[in-house]
Amino acid sequence: MVGALALCAALGCGRPAPPPPRFLQVDIENSPTSTDPRFATDAISSRINELVFDSLVRVDRHGRFVGQLAESFERPDETHIVFHLKRGIRFSNGREMTARDVKYTYDTTINPSSMSPKRGGFAELKSIEAPDDRTIVMTTYRPYAPAMEMAMLEIVEEGTPLPRKSAAPAPAGTGPFRMVRYARDDSAWLERNPYRPFAPDAPMGIVFKIVPDPTVRALELAEGICDLAENNIEPEVLPYLISVPDLEVNESSGTTYQYLGLNFRNPLLRDPRIRRAIAYAIDRKAIAASYLRGTARVASGMLAPENWAYDGKVATYDYDPERARRLLEEAGFHADARGRRDIRFVYKTTPEGGRLAETIQAMLLRVGIEVEIRSNEWATFYGDIQKGNFDLMSSRWIGINDPNHYYLVFDSSMTPPRGLNRGAYSNPEMDSLLEQGATTIDPEQRRRIYARVQELAAEDLPYISLWWIQNVVVMNRAVRNFTPYPNGSLRSLAEVKLADDRARGTSR
Amino acid sequence: MKAARNPSLAAGAAIVAFLVATAIVGPLLATADPLAIDLANSLARPSLQHPLGCDVLGRDVLARIVYGARLSLGVSVSVVALSMIVGSLIGGAAGMAGGWIDEVIMRGVDIVLAFPGILLAIALAAVLGPGLMDLVIALSAMGWTTYARLVRGEVLTLREREYVHAAETLGARPGRILLRHLLPAMAGPVAVQATFGIGGIVGAEAALSFLGLGALPPTPSWGNMLDAGRAFMLVAPYLTMAPGIAIGTAILGFNLLGDGLAQIAGTRS
Amino acid sequence: MIRYFLRRLGALVPVAIGVATLTFAMIHLVPGDPVVAMLGETAAPADIAEMRTRLGLDRPIAEQYTAFLTGLLKGDLGESISYRKSVSSLIAERFPATIELTMAGMLVGVLIAFPLGIVSGMKPGGAADVGAMGFAILGISIPHIYLGPLLMIVFSLDLRWLPLTGRGGLSHLVLPALTLGTALAAVIARMLRQSLISVRDSDYMRTAVSKGMSPAAALIRHGLRNAMTSVVTLLGLQTGALLTGALITEVIFSWPGIGRLLIGAIGARDYPLVEGCVLTFALTYVVVNMATDLLYAIVDPRVRLE
Repeated sequence: MVGALALCAALGCGRPAPPPPRFLQVDIENSPTSTDPRFATDAISSRINELVFDSLVRVDRHGRFVGQLAESFERPDETHIVFHLKRGIRFSNGREMTARDVKYTYDTTINPSSMSPKRGGFAELKSIEAPDDRTIVMTTYRPYAPAMEMAMLEIVEEGTPLPRKSAAPAPAGTGPFRMVRYARDDSAWLERNPYRPFAPDAPMGIVFKIVPDPTVRALELAEGICDLAENNIEPEVLPYLISVPDLEVNESSGTTYQYLGLNFRNPLLRDPRIRRAIAYAIDRKAIAASYLRGTARVASGMLAPENWAYDGKVATYDYDPERARRLLEEAGFHADARGRRDIRFVYKTTPEGGRLAETIQAMLLRVGIEVEIRSNEWATFYGDIQKGNFDLMSSRWIGINDPNHYYLVFDSSMTPPRGLNRGAYSNPEMDSLLEQGATTIDPEQRRRIYARVQELAAEDLPYISLWWIQNVVVMNRAVRNFTPYPNGSLRSLAEVKLADDRARGTSR
Repeated sequence: MKAARNPSLAAGAAIVAFLVATAIVGPLLATADPLAIDLANSLARPSLQHPLGCDVLGRDVLARIVYGARLSLGVSVSVVALSMIVGSLIGGAAGMAGGWIDEVIMRGVDIVLAFPGILLAIALAAVLGPGLMDLVIALSAMGWTTYARLVRGEVLTLREREYVHAAETLGARPGRILLRHLLPAMAGPVAVQATFGIGGIVGAEAALSFLGLGALPPTPSWGNMLDAGRAFMLVAPYLTMAPGIAIGTAILGFNLLGDGLAQIAGTRS
Repeated sequence: MIRYFLRRLGALVPVAIGVATLTFAMIHLVPGDPVVAMLGETAAPADIAEMRTRLGLDRPIAEQYTAFLTGLLKGDLGESISYRKSVSSLIAERFPATIELTMAGMLVGVLIAFPLGIVSGMKPGGAADVGAMGFAILGISIPHIYLGPLLMIVFSLDLRWLPLTGRGGLSHLVLPALTLGTALAAVIARMLRQSLISVRDSDYMRTAVSKGMSPAAALIRHGLRNAMTSVVTLLGLQTGALLTGALITEVIFSWPGIGRLLIGAIGARDYPLVEGCVLTFALTYVVVNMATDLLYAIVDPRVRLE
């Protein structure tokens, strides 16, 4: 028995096969929630899906729309957009992509029985038609300014079943890679889409390895096992990694917005004085300077300064615990001998967010608010948030492009499952502004409307803005020509070059 | 007892005494607040001001270790006391009653014992949720069986002694016999068991807190400090060393003390 | 022999049922609403009701219990909420990993214990004895949750000899097995030492030495033979600690076994999976205990006759 065990171990039973030579390994911290782009809304799923699928248009590094599956597009009038598709684009199974695939993707995503979390973003879409194989016509109910955002849905093949009924690791896509294998909590394997040309020194495949332990991710980078890790390395480990000769750290401005979400279903949080007290009690500068080690900028609102609609002239809440205490007193909550007022909130978080949770807990305790932290792994946390099962929570919005995102998160009708207003915030003025913002086509007018939206959001505090987070990519120097995107996209992995002299470590 | 002849007792008693002193007096002497965050000192290395350094939120590690001692000992003693009381009463009742009551109770003990190690405590803690009270209950639920078996065994032996026969003849009720005569007689073995028990529960509490099922942040428990420190092993290994050494020392102390007591009581552990 | 085996098997059944019942009771009969405990006070009533129906908690308790037991007999442990797969298939996938770790821990424990125990037992009171027993008492006192990270820091982060976490080839097994086996080694070493010491003054020893055998050889031959049964007893007694030790070690090293599955299930509030994992551990333990008893009966005939 003992001999059998030794033999088995020596032969490496259960040993995961190391990636082949010209493969990249990217370490991620969680499993993607879905490999079907019609259903995935989280960042990790997006990173992977971006490499497997294309959409009609994409956003380039400067935030402009460029055609991806579409060769060109025009707006004949305020309620129509016409896309002309490129020719000769094939899915990874060889079939040529046509407008019918596009229409199928949209139809199945929007169909209520599919229960796709992305449905809410298409509420204004009246119809999508494919008059011929190369043309797509989108019609909206009314003039809809963010209409182009709807063209960013990644396209799957006509006839692709819904995820629950599918045995394949992922649907076929037209992207530079295809997914050949997916094991939850283990890894996702991507190989080249044989029908897309690529440079000879580009990677032949990518392995997304799920490594929940941040120390292991850092070690794998240091030892050359992992080639790239984005936004999942602890800031205090960065100096150590910078000192490793084979690694480089690429830090760039990010539009990722970290916020504290408040649940308006709790009557205490409906009192604006309490919300403001919470805002004044959090010392965001100190946190950014200390353990975030400067990888964050204190945020005034959801739109980062890089966004065309950004307006920085809004109410801000610099750290002022005295003011917080005064507000709480005004609200009728008096401090007892230990400084505690009879206010208690449940703060939901994931283990990754535990540090921030404890910091906020300590800071709120200073002004007399007690916070109980409940930490769960990501899928459970996400489920809780969607169901409004929290008082406080912190999360991030990644890849905000059009300010219409405000509609998805702050409109009173957009509570889950329809939209992303998880805190059930409701303000008729906000609703009306958001309505106008969506239906006003003139950019200058839109800018003014959203300036007022940002002002109102800062007054009303449905979110307490925390930071805009830099994108921090740690990668092996063997990976060349990596292009960072403000939304953290890893799309450029399809075009990076792997150095010739790169040897795959035997330390696998 | 001479220290030279019973080094375990001496060493064990010394360590335990130090721990108890730390738990009781330490929090009064500690100048740092274990809950106070000080972000500028995030992951500060050990220094005069912070002899064991600071954790990621700038909290003083030494203060947290000292408060952790209070929590560990408090929980462990509570658990052992609760297990002892509940277990002794149940075991004693089984021994006194005999017959089918004894059978049923012993089957119950068997079933509880069919759960290895701290599995039962983990399962109960999972169901009861986090929190210290629930932790004590979960840990006690697995601990009472040792005392039940021990006491039952002793009761069965001691019952045959004459003074018990005498008491029974005089019409004393079984409960009274148990409480006044039998339980005091078995103080020795039970005390030894309890000493090892406290050591074991210190380890079990640490494990449960480590797994996220025990004391929750920001309450400092050696177990959850160890868990939190793991994320920083690359840059601040002392964050795991300090609570780890604390747990190890505590368990060592109780083990040595138990060994020493066992030598005196004449029973083998 | 067969009768003994059947009798022990017969005793197994009520214990197994009792274990299953206790597991069921914990999840379903705990005071307070388990669903509220699961989802928290801020959960919407509709979600609480939905979860209750999902878990079958809205049916009468007797019905739930019967369904649970019949399912268990068929090997059906329900469906995992977080994985959307059957609990039994998840457990079957990960069971080999736990077995691998437990066996490796046992092996390491025995391999470390023997030299230590022998060295101490041969010259009690000597330097080697003090050293070895010092190591032993440390080994018993250092908890897995500390030893694991300590070994990781030294061998993985500082020396870079071994991988940090995960299951793979032999190199991945070393640190977890060491973490798990050290406490076991300490216990066995102490017992071996005891065994050897008690043999020293026996008649057998005197006879062997007078016949020309070296004291050391005689000690080892007789002492070890004597100790074998005790080692087996000890291994049997320590199985429980070894199993829960494996559970904790799996979490420390991200080892993909049932222990890690259980802790993950607790975090995900996946109660069917929690139930299944707890049952698996408990029933494994029960079966191993029975196997140890049977091993005894084969080795020592007196046991069978009682």
